Amino acid sequence: MKYRHFLGALVAVSATVSLAAEALADYPHSTVKLVTHSSPGGGTDVFLRKLSQHLGPIMGVNFVVENVRGGGGAKAMAVLANSPADGSIFYGTTPSYVNTSLLSSPEASFTDLDPVVNMFYDPQVVYVRANSPYQDLTDVVEDAKSRPQQVIVAVSTPSSLDRQVMEQFQTVTGTEVTILTHDGGGDVILNVLNGTAQVGIGEIAELRGQIDAGELRLITTYTDERLDLFPDVKTAKEQGIDLVVRKFRGLAGPKGLPEDVVTAWEEGIQKLLADPEFKAWYEGEGVIPAYLDQEGARALTAEFATEMKAFFTEYNIQAE
Amino acid sequence: MDGFIHALSAVTSWQILLAAGGGVLWGILGGALPGISPSIAMALLLPFTYDMSPLMALVMLGSVYIGAEYGGSIPAILIRTPGTNAAAATVIDGYVMHQQGRGGEALGLSLTGGTIGGLFGLILLATLTKPLSDLALMFTPPAYFALGLLGLSIIASVSEGSMVKGLIAGVLGLMLATVGTDPLSGVTRFTFGEPELLEGVHFILVMLGVFAVAELMSKLADNEPDDLVKPDTVSKLVLPSLSKLWSLRRAQAIGCAVGALEGPVPGAGGTVASFLSYNEARRWSKTPEQFGKGSEEGVIAPETANNVVTATALVPTLSFGIPGSNSTAILLGGFLIHGLQPGPLLFSTNPDILYGLFGGLFVANIMMFLIGIVILGPAIWLVNRPRPYLNASILALVFSGIYSINNSIFDLWVVLAAGAIGYVLRVLKFPALPLILGLVLGYMIESNYRRSLLLTQGDHAVFFQNGVSAFLMGCAIVVLVLGAYTEFRRFRREATA
Repeated sequence: MKYRHFLGALVAVSATVSLAAEALADYPHSTVKLVTHSSPGGGTDVFLRKLSQHLGPIMGVNFVVENVRGGGGAKAMAVLANSPADGSIFYGTTPSYVNTSLLSSPEASFTDLDPVVNMFYDPQVVYVRANSPYQDLTDVVEDAKSRPQQVIVAVSTPSSLDRQVMEQFQTVTGTEVTILTHDGGGDVILNVLNGTAQVGIGEIAELRGQIDAGELRLITTYTDERLDLFPDVKTAKEQGIDLVVRKFRGLAGPKGLPEDVVTAWEEGIQKLLADPEFKAWYEGEGVIPAYLDQEGARALTAEFATEMKAFFTEYNIQAE
Repeated sequence: MDGFIHALSAVTSWQILLAAGGGVLWGILGGALPGISPSIAMALLLPFTYDMSPLMALVMLGSVYIGAEYGGSIPAILIRTPGTNAAAATVIDGYVMHQQGRGGEALGLSLTGGTIGGLFGLILLATLTKPLSDLALMFTPPAYFALGLLGLSIIASVSEGSMVKGLIAGVLGLMLATVGTDPLSGVTRFTFGEPELLEGVHFILVMLGVFAVAELMSKLADNEPDDLVKPDTVSKLVLPSLSKLWSLRRAQAIGCAVGALEGPVPGAGGTVASFLSYNEARRWSKTPEQFGKGSEEGVIAPETANNVVTATALVPTLSFGIPGSNSTAILLGGFLIHGLQPGPLLFSTNPDILYGLFGGLFVANIMMFLIGIVILGPAIWLVNRPRPYLNASILALVFSGIYSINNSIFDLWVVLAAGAIGYVLRVLKFPALPLILGLVLGYMIESNYRRSLLLTQGDHAVFFQNGVSAFLMGCAIVVLVLGAYTEFRRFRREATA
């Protein structure tokens, strides 16, 4: 009796498998691996897992997220570079894979990989304590002009985009502030909360809890347009400070991917971004959808790399 | 009161009990394996929690953390290899007790101390989250610098008999801490173009090298039967009696207090807490001369402290959404994956989850005690197997553990190099702990020293103007002076004798 149940279950399982196989007739693989250098629960990890959940049915593919940690992405890039370019493995990209390539000499660098699509920008924001006198970035500029080096701006690591944008800020506005680097975004928040720094730079996701509780307040975003979540917060551009940070999130694969695979991804990701459930998730996260096809993603990566290289060279951060 | 009801309803659900029990068991095993840190044990389990209810997932992750922080003391006592960073202080007296044939007693003390500490910490967490989170905010860069100094001042007492040698070893540790990326400017230092060194020399690698590998090397070198262990007396776990616990109350109180103050400070963590409480327990002990020679207080104080920290370290995570350590970062990931945003509002938006978590962790601590009783017997049996088998498997265990962290062969070389350094230190009779302390604290001291000076444009007065900093520096000076005085007195006594 039990045995027959088991057989029935087996038949049911194989039926589902063959159904799934039919749905993905146009994609060459039934299982696709998504690699991230982020540890489980980290930013890119959560992003890729959400993506697998919603993109799976769209592309008819079974996604597996694999965490290849170590060397700030160096190990993950090496895995990708040594994998077949047949559409069975991809890498969740963030600026750090470019930075790691520039800062150290990893076995495989970002140039050994080929961008496939871009999906989002993580908005870079400027924030203060709730009771701060600053209302926007212009206030910060004015204060910094009246007392050079006295305004303390907290940023995350020395090689981060946070720091890069604030170094540029000084050049663009002709001011001098003290840029205080930290080990990560969490430390930055604490030092803004306890008054050590007057201004902090960060991302919405890590600030959300404090903003909702009214402990921290956004004063400016380094984005092209105002954020849907915070329509009252001005962009730096609006205030005449021409700084836009494009902290990208996308996918890259080994070099030489077949054209049909790239097309399948370009179509799949566009459908995914329009998917209501997925949309609800990313809107809540505060990221900006920024779809770019392969050409666009390649150009973005190259431009970003040039900018960062200049920054690293100027501030003597680069290795060698 | 509502909170209590939430907690109660959580602990009466079988799923939560299962999550707590399973998590603790996994944690103890992970913590006991050298190389598998609490955060890695949690990370390995995280993917399995995606489909659970949020509360069940969080209780499970929290339980792994509790179990792992305790589990680290098992190899620290039995094979002189701390399984976790925070168990490094337990090695000192725990291993000596084992050599004296009192390994079972030492394990009983660390289990009981850990359980008491964990429960105490949870009560603090549930009742005093707000004041404890204010404590975290009091730590500005000058205060972190002073905390690091206080940690370093302990070198004076963990290198008794050779303060100069202790200082040399400490400086060696500080030097190792400078390898990697400069914390403020981002310039690479002493990496020799090696990408694996960009993030510095990992503390756990050096610790395993200096303790485990060096221990094995000196056993090989000794070439004489070194079975100081008397198998008869250690073959089973000995739980401390109530009167014994009462007699150790001072050490436990110190462990609780240090853990309560240290835990909420992001970045300070269990390692500093266990070293500080070891040091304080020794200072306030009626028998300080027993420390380093198998003192019971020397085992129970750090073990109590690091399990208090498993609860109090959740303060910044829950009230700011800021993880203070790798382990709490993974717990934070668990919150985020389930769409929960830790932060000041969590207490009003999701009290059921929050108090449910406290309830679940309470159960986890009790389960840790019960599971410990069951598995410690076999663990003791295991280390009493013939030496060659044991030594070979320790090496295999350490190396596979290390390799599993980053899948890196380079890390194995670091362990071997650290083992060689550790062996040379032993032969020359240099204490190894100051080296570890220097390496752990070097980064914190350097980065916050420079950060503070950046804030004041180079004015050193800030370290005395900041209240917290001034207080901690005062403590450090007291520790140093007392240490030097004891050293001096002993020196004179030896000279006259």
